[in-house]
Amino acid sequence: MIWSLIILCGVITFLIRFIPLSGIFSSDLPLSLKHTFKYIPLAVLTPIIVNDLSIIENNNFFLIENFKLYAALIAIIVAIIWNNVLATISIGMASFLILSNI
Amino acid sequence: MKKWQIFKQGVLQELPLQLGVFPFGIIYGVMAIESGLTFLQALLMSSIIFGGASQIAFVQLLSNSTPYGVIVTTVGAINSRHLLYSISMVEYLNKLSLSWRVTLAYLLTDEAYAVSIRKFINHSDKSILHYHLLGSGITLFLSWQISTLLGVWLGNDLPEFLDLQFIIPLTFIAIIIPMIKSKSTLITVISSGISALIFKNLDINFWIILSGLTGILAGMASSRWDKKS
Repeated sequence: MIWSLIILCGVITFLIRFIPLSGIFSSDLPLSLKHTFKYIPLAVLTPIIVNDLSIIENNNFFLIENFKLYAALIAIIVAIIWNNVLATISIGMASFLILSNI
Repeated sequence: MKKWQIFKQGVLQELPLQLGVFPFGIIYGVMAIESGLTFLQALLMSSIIFGGASQIAFVQLLSNSTPYGVIVTTVGAINSRHLLYSISMVEYLNKLSLSWRVTLAYLLTDEAYAVSIRKFINHSDKSILHYHLLGSGITLFLSWQISTLLGVWLGNDLPEFLDLQFIIPLTFIAIIIPMIKSKSTLITVISSGISALIFKNLDINFWIILSGLTGILAGMASSRWDKKS
């Protein structure tokens, strides 16, 4: 039974990723719709980031000692200035480690 | 650029993210065994489902004796955001053969998408771009399988490197910040971020995709304020 559960979840996950690419839908999408695609990475990755920063814990705002939040703000500044993935990750991670060990 | 170079670039750009993915895979492996799955079930779930957060949710629910229907719905809800990834990939991948599209759809996860869409957007020659996603996807796949194996093998000895997972949101920050080029894209980020806080705390299963759709709608609604380029 567990096996069928795993396989069912696998099939559903695959279909979610495949259906738009399956060609069932016309590839000649209207330009106005294509225009909205640029929002997709931003609109989906931002909620993941926000969730990982644990801004709300047990229905309370967790801001003061939230070192991940501070490190993320530093990373955002680094990303704006240098636009470099490795610099953003390393300075963000270093800030987090320093802040949480002070 | 040749196919091989693009592939290699996908691999190399995906590699730094593995510092965050690898611990996540180990944690999944440990939790899977604790939830009562067999060695083989825990291991193969990583290639059958191949979706980190949804697998963690799966084993958490399973260890709380949740009805199977709820587990399936939750996995679907968590992975529903990949539908949007796939939609935004259509214009780059729709000319490929079926086997290519099946392979790339299977490999289309958060970390591979984040790295490759950046490349896709900034590259004009669409004909060989899919090798980039193949490279990033295979790298992530291998790292996920190996880390799962390690977690399953470690069993209860959960190593203390949970903090390394923070690399994943940092990477996403590095990727989305340069994409904010107009008022409407900024509004998309702010509104999807705030929606995530609200929907997540209302305990809505579909919080990621709901927040995503809110962000997209807000972006569309505010696009008239963008300077015409």
